[in-house]
Amino acid sequence: MPWWFLPLLMALMVGLLCPATGTLLVTQRRLLQSNLISHAVLPGLAVALALGLDPALGGVLSGVLGALVAERLQRRDGRSHEAVINTVLAGFLGLGVLLIPLLNLRLDLEAVLFGDLLAVGSSDLLRTLIAAASLLLLVVCSYRSLVYLGVDPDGAAAVGLPVRGLRLALAFVTALVVVSAMAAVGVVLVIALLCAPVLPGLHRVTSLRAAMLRSSLVGMALSGAGFALALFLNLPPGPLIGVACLGLLLPGSRIR
Amino acid sequence: MGETMPKRPALMQLPAPRSVALQADDLRAKDLCFAYDGKQALDHVSFSLVPGSLTALVGANGAGKSTLLHLLQGQLMPTAGSVWLGEQPIRRCRPRVALMPQRGRIDWAFPITVREMVALGQVQAPRSVCCDVAAALQRVGLEALAGRRLDALSGGQQQRTLLARALMQPARVLLLDEPCAAIDPPARQQLLRLMRQLADAGYSLLVSSHDWGEALDVYDRVLVLDRRLLADGTPAQVRGALTALTDMGNHACG
Repeated sequence: MPWWFLPLLMALMVGLLCPATGTLLVTQRRLLQSNLISHAVLPGLAVALALGLDPALGGVLSGVLGALVAERLQRRDGRSHEAVINTVLAGFLGLGVLLIPLLNLRLDLEAVLFGDLLAVGSSDLLRTLIAAASLLLLVVCSYRSLVYLGVDPDGAAAVGLPVRGLRLALAFVTALVVVSAMAAVGVVLVIALLCAPVLPGLHRVTSLRAAMLRSSLVGMALSGAGFALALFLNLPPGPLIGVACLGLLLPGSRIR
Repeated sequence: MGETMPKRPALMQLPAPRSVALQADDLRAKDLCFAYDGKQALDHVSFSLVPGSLTALVGANGAGKSTLLHLLQGQLMPTAGSVWLGEQPIRRCRPRVALMPQRGRIDWAFPITVREMVALGQVQAPRSVCCDVAAALQRVGLEALAGRRLDALSGGQQQRTLLARALMQPARVLLLDEPCAAIDPPARQQLLRLMRQLADAGYSLLVSSHDWGEALDVYDRVLVLDRRLLADGTPAQVRGALTALTDMGNHACG
């Protein structure tokens, strides 16, 4: 197996998985929360490392915890949701950074934040497969409920759909996806792959399913090409993929 | 004490006769109160809706119309009082009361076709139940647009899509939250005709509205709400109460 095979496979998997999840997040208006989750994985990651556990497990738990904390703090009257979410985001990120020296960890912070595709191993690939399976399970079991919740949240609550449960499941899947994509693009840059490939064509497709499929294809192409270009130019692939995502926004803005 | 005495014997012999007398689709609000943030949004509201009636719920912004509809559908719990559908408390039979939300609450740009949107009305039914989307679409006159995206429709067509979705539910009581707001007059006429047809077919409809005066003449009955129920009667009967409310409104604005 050539040395570039595993990183390329990882880039393609993440390029497929992130936009598919991102399509759900965009249509459910959960992106801000996802950005919070992606930053909030850090403290759990550090603690899990210190305890000798799988860092992904700690990361997922602390990502979901961050989302729950923010939701709880938002309930006070008159508070701006965005302000609360961003404050919790910064708080968790700061805590994670502090924990590294406090717990005497040997952790490459830069790789966590911005990814290190060339260093991925088979355990990273396995995590991605687990995240993909959980996303598939959520979509297969709750497709119509997710559609209802996206198009008409009030109506979904009125017919008795488990709105809170669905949102929690989505937050959990998001945390899994973020943690698995961490090795490839890092927790900061993952948001670009969650958002950008979703946008072209979202206003033309006629179903959520089609939107997910389309964004996955765009994401895979982008991520694969970004990886190849990074090798060619001898640049880090994560940031390059982030920059390439920016390019996806340009054609749409010319038309309008 | 004088009141409770005559009721007693009646209560004891009840179960059988009462369930016959009360239709299963009668929606009744009993002394509904609702408060949030310490403010009384609804104050002892009582009425009942009978099948086959088209009823308007009018009142100014903040009068509690939306709150009342959400209470009637069981989405909110009243701070006092109760809602009944026939013999059952509403919490036990929520799918039998359909709420058509305000159009501002819908994400019209969501990637979904008219057909799929209407089919969501049976989102909780098991797959084996045959959901006749085509019939619901035909009823609201949208069968030709079934494959279109929601954001390719006009405002009136979008409202009819929501109505068709409500018709897919196993509900005979329809609560419509400002269905006529922000759509043009011809579309509004069409929607009102449709609501009249549904009432004639045995549905009971409660429609919240900003309309005053003659626009109310199409309804069988009008409830005027300003936290309390100010008036309840035919359009002609409530006109006096509406005028009083309008004066009050002007006063508040001035």
